[in-house]
Amino acid sequence: MISGDYFGKPYKITMTITEANSQTAKTSRSKLVIATTLEQQDHATRVWLYSGIFWMVVAMMIGTVEAVKLFDPEFLQGVPALAYGRLRPVHVNIGIFGFMSMGYLGAAFYMVPRLTQTPLFSESLGALTAWVWNFNLLGGCLAILLGYSKGKEYEEIPFPFNMIIGLLEIAIAGNLFSTVVLRREKRIYVSLWYILLAIIPFPIYYTLGNSNSFTGIEDAIVNWFYSHNLFGIWLTALGLATLYYIVPKQVHKPLYSHAVSFLGFWTLAAFYPWNGGHHVIWGPVPMWVMSASVTASLAMLVPTISTMVNFGGTALGTWHIFKKDISYRFSLLAYFGYIGASIWGSILAIMSLNAVVHFTNMTIAHVHLGFVGFGVPGLVAFIYFYIERSLKLKYSQTLAEWHFWLTVMGILGYTISMGVNGWLEGSQWVAGNSPQGTMLMRYPYHVARAISGLILLIGQLLFVWNIFKTINYAPKNSPQSTIQN
Amino acid sequence: MRFIRVFPIIIGLSILFGVAFSGLAVAPAFAPSVAEPSPGLVAYTSSELKGRKIYVREGCVYCHSQQVRDVPADANLAMGFGVSRAGDYYYDRPHLLGTMRQGPDLANEGRIWRKDVGQPARDYLIGHFINPRNYNPASIMPAYNYLSEEELAELTDYIQSLGAWKDQPGESS
Ligand code: HEM
Ligand code: HEM
Repeated sequence: MISGDYFGKPYKITMTITEANSQTAKTSRSKLVIATTLEQQDHATRVWLYSGIFWMVVAMMIGTVEAVKLFDPEFLQGVPALAYGRLRPVHVNIGIFGFMSMGYLGAAFYMVPRLTQTPLFSESLGALTAWVWNFNLLGGCLAILLGYSKGKEYEEIPFPFNMIIGLLEIAIAGNLFSTVVLRREKRIYVSLWYILLAIIPFPIYYTLGNSNSFTGIEDAIVNWFYSHNLFGIWLTALGLATLYYIVPKQVHKPLYSHAVSFLGFWTLAAFYPWNGGHHVIWGPVPMWVMSASVTASLAMLVPTISTMVNFGGTALGTWHIFKKDISYRFSLLAYFGYIGASIWGSILAIMSLNAVVHFTNMTIAHVHLGFVGFGVPGLVAFIYFYIERSLKLKYSQTLAEWHFWLTVMGILGYTISMGVNGWLEGSQWVAGNSPQGTMLMRYPYHVARAISGLILLIGQLLFVWNIFKTINYAPKNSPQSTIQN
Repeated sequence: MRFIRVFPIIIGLSILFGVAFSGLAVAPAFAPSVAEPSPGLVAYTSSELKGRKIYVREGCVYCHSQQVRDVPADANLAMGFGVSRAGDYYYDRPHLLGTMRQGPDLANEGRIWRKDVGQPARDYLIGHFINPRNYNPASIMPAYNYLSEEELAELTDYIQSLGAWKDQPGESS
């Protein structure tokens, strides 16, 4: 340490001297490098995250248009590209491949370098894949609107756009996986397990689902095997990874139990891939496909309850944080959405109940509790977290409060209106009525759903406005973030 | 436990995924009920196939299932037409089973608006595509008035083929 006086101003220089080849020198030097390039380092994260937000808003806009069309079919009628049957697959594919995939991959690109204490294998590859993914998805959706849909749910995007998604995922997985292999931190935190589960098997079931080499019932079974993996071990795994990462940081204490997260992870990985057949319960598939999937769906209660206990235990006694930290509040909302959707899903797989509510809006309610109740708040929580902890910026608390409560209202409105609607429809059918006969009964619920959609959309627009202002009007010399975040 | 390395994780995940893959995606292909057509099932004609493509393109599957189950909610359908079997879908590519019923099930539509009824059945179906609200003012089905005459005819051929083979002479159920 040298200190002294330079033209009246005191100065102090601190120097740490280490042997040239020692381990500490190496690590401290590389940590230094990481800290100074971090601004650039999160480049890929930002492209993925902001794209995710963009597609989230688009998915909600299209969803609201569809919802209106379901009670006022003349709305926007006459344009083939805006017909309900073409908008709906676009809504779904943008929701899944745009909003959820991109947003949560953004979170993964953020978490992986920090959890491994290693810079991302390639920042520019990460950003490039995000841009190509965006334009490719746009192309795929335009193709659907123009009438080139492949026609099976969740795999409507036609060739070559679907193939490009598969190839891009391999590049993304390679990028993240190489970072994990080159890692400095030897321990692997739960979030990384989930990320590995998400990125590794994807190319297999995605290719399987998108190949057109099956016919008839085999085609349907493969379709559902693929789709359920898409929800279960792609979207849910990425979403849970994010929650496992941010929640302990938000409450400033470690995860309740690593043993429980171990149990939750491995049971999820074991049971989820078996769930596909529960989409055709009572359908024309071999009985054992049905029973295997129903069993696996009920077994899903194990990972669900593990997750519930683990986050519940972590969240215990954090009321004071809940009250002021919007980001944490969204995490908990996502937590309730996830647990709710999952328990609901297991219940829907009970054969006697499924016989009543399959083909009704009950499924739609479950789906949206999963995506809008878990997907939306989880990503939003991560973005508020990112802005506050990593960019060290403060967003408008008032707007964020509005955002939170509008989102809560929207989720409740959507799930309750469609849940009740679904139950009534199912009961009517059992009583001998037909879908045509319930048209008037469904009307008010469809209106309520559209209003909920609008509320959700307004909430998310406030959010976009809030973060846009926060990031763009931030003081230019904002403090550097560090990798420890 | 906190020191787990990546490779055991990857091997574990591969085994779990591989087992499910073989069980749920590969094994069903070998089930006899899946691999053989139902007795009496006929392949689609070329205009029916064209109509089927329109059905796919316009996303009819998002509101109409083609699947009758052996459950109380489908009792009327099952009584009238029988329950759907795996072999009924033998020629379907892509499958169009559907997961939602905003509108009625169409698995047996060709037995309601039968070909042998002739023009009146076709007139109804085509008129209904052009504007469903001319027939049921409360209907929420979109109006497909932008389809060409030819497309409407092909779509009608396809719809009239649905389940029609079950009525053919010499059928065994
Ligand atoms: C403003 C919010 C939203 C509204 C109003 C809305 C509306 C709708 C409507 C009307 C349908 C068709 C339901 C039917 O077939 O009867 C639908 C389906 C669907 N939506 Fe949304 N949606 C919204 C947000 C989202 C988001 C953010 C996602 C994200 C992934 C999403 C994913 C889906 C999926 C996967 C389906 C298909 C469900 C199935 O096939 O069973 N939705 N949505
Ligand atoms: C333990 C967890 C879960 C189980 C056991 C489960 C179970 C089910 C069941 C049985 C259905 C079919 C309902 C029917 O058609 O009658 C279903 C549909 C669906 N679930 Fe789940 N679910 C779970 C969690 C989730 C989550 C967290 C999401 C979203 C992230 C999700 C997304 C979907 C979607 C999109 C469909 C609709 C597929 C379609 O018909 O197009 N599920 N789920």
